Amino acid sequence: MSFRSSITIVASPRSRVGKTLLARLLTEFYAQKGGAVAAFDLNAGGGTLARFLPEHTIVSTIGDIKGQMALFDRLIAEDGGAKVVDLGYESFESFFALAQQIGFAEEALKHAIAPAILYVITPDATSVEAYRGLRRRFPQAVLAPVHNEIFGSAQHRDKYQLAGSGETVVRLPALAPGVRKFVETPPFSFSHLQPAAAVDMPPEVNAELQRWLRRAFREFRELDLRILLADLQSSIRLQS
Amino acid sequence: MAKPAVILVGADKGGVGKTTVARTLLDYFGAHQTPARAFDTEFPRGTLKRFHPDVTEVVNVTSVADQMKIFDTLGGADSSVTVIDVRAGLLSSTLQALSDIGFIESAKKGQITFSVFHILGPTIASLNEIAETARFVGDASYFLVKNRINDTTFFEWDPPTYNSYFKQIKGASEISIPKLNEMACEQVEVASTPFVSFIANKTARDEPANYSFVLRGYVRHWLGNVWSEYDRVKLIDLVSPKAEDSARQAAS
Repeated sequence: MSFRSSITIVASPRSRVGKTLLARLLTEFYAQKGGAVAAFDLNAGGGTLARFLPEHTIVSTIGDIKGQMALFDRLIAEDGGAKVVDLGYESFESFFALAQQIGFAEEALKHAIAPAILYVITPDATSVEAYRGLRRRFPQAVLAPVHNEIFGSAQHRDKYQLAGSGETVVRLPALAPGVRKFVETPPFSFSHLQPAAAVDMPPEVNAELQRWLRRAFREFRELDLRILLADLQSSIRLQS
Repeated sequence: MAKPAVILVGADKGGVGKTTVARTLLDYFGAHQTPARAFDTEFPRGTLKRFHPDVTEVVNVTSVADQMKIFDTLGGADSSVTVIDVRAGLLSSTLQALSDIGFIESAKKGQITFSVFHILGPTIASLNEIAETARFVGDASYFLVKNRINDTTFFEWDPPTYNSYFKQIKGASEISIPKLNEMACEQVEVASTPFVSFIANKTARDEPANYSFVLRGYVRHWLGNVWSEYDRVKLIDLVSPKAEDSARQAAS
């Protein structure tokens, strides 16, 4: 079995840790690789992701069964596209409780779709405990801690255990304040920077942004390889 | 060959999900490689037959000929378990008929394993039936099934009243069927398949289907809970002790 597509869930039980920025980056990363990408916005406020990526975003809810079907049935659809879920902190528990109950990770693997959880780490006990819970509840999924460097350099490796020897913390590089201003004002797209004049971006800011983007995308490529490796290892284990 | 087992699934009123329980039983025995057949007494058009057409026969339980059909074939059939879905309101009269033809007598002698699944509705009125049926059941294993599948609020009963009925049947056990959300229920109805086929995303003809993954997930979770209730009361041990023994041997 080899994975044709992936589902990446960006999650944290805390608000304002950079989940939506990470989800935007991932969506554009997959879009740049070519191929379809769908980004599911599961934030109570809603709308932020859609303002930046209107052509990719599907505003979702899991409050009722119709919403759950619209989200999860679409996530496991074998349409070959990449899927990104921007999971708002309010829906953290209900999303994973439902995912566990309906056997989401197993079903995704059955459809040759790799489920991965990008977990934005913070040093507080709630967050550490929720991370352990996900390890226990979703042993089939790739669970990758993400360190948002805007919160400083500490990676809390003592608190966040990694599964295998090959695993590392995914780093989301900090954005320089001068760049943030542009990045966080919609409409803004990382991939359509060529007419920089359209957002009135000074060349040095653009250069800084490109450096940042290259670093972030390199992290994603490594993550992609890790998911592939996990897939290979599991198929080797199955054969032996 | 295993001793024949008969499970009567009945209720004193309609709409309490009796057939749903019968369906979970047939799925359960299927999963335990225990051959089962069923009689649907909703003559002439049975609901159970729609979901399990291969093993179900629709009979008129008030007709002597059909009573014979059910009980005379017990020993000969290649199924070790017979599930009888008794039409609403006919539980007492069916038990009476069983008593008349000597079936209850053979159960007492230990020639047949006999169990009753009495499905309880959400109103206290349905408890009266327990008193009525109690005198027939003798040594049968009696299960009082609280079916919550379609209900949000359920059993606002006065515990002393409930217990006074409950105690009339010695050795009765309680089984609780949890709630399954309406949309999942409805989709299985539309699909007209056994629960296990729905979960496996298969049509009634065993072809690949396209049911919602979320709904399949809900049904699997729910059926797992129902089956763990059957495990808890050791239903397999009861109906086919030999099958369980050989399964244990195979496992060890």
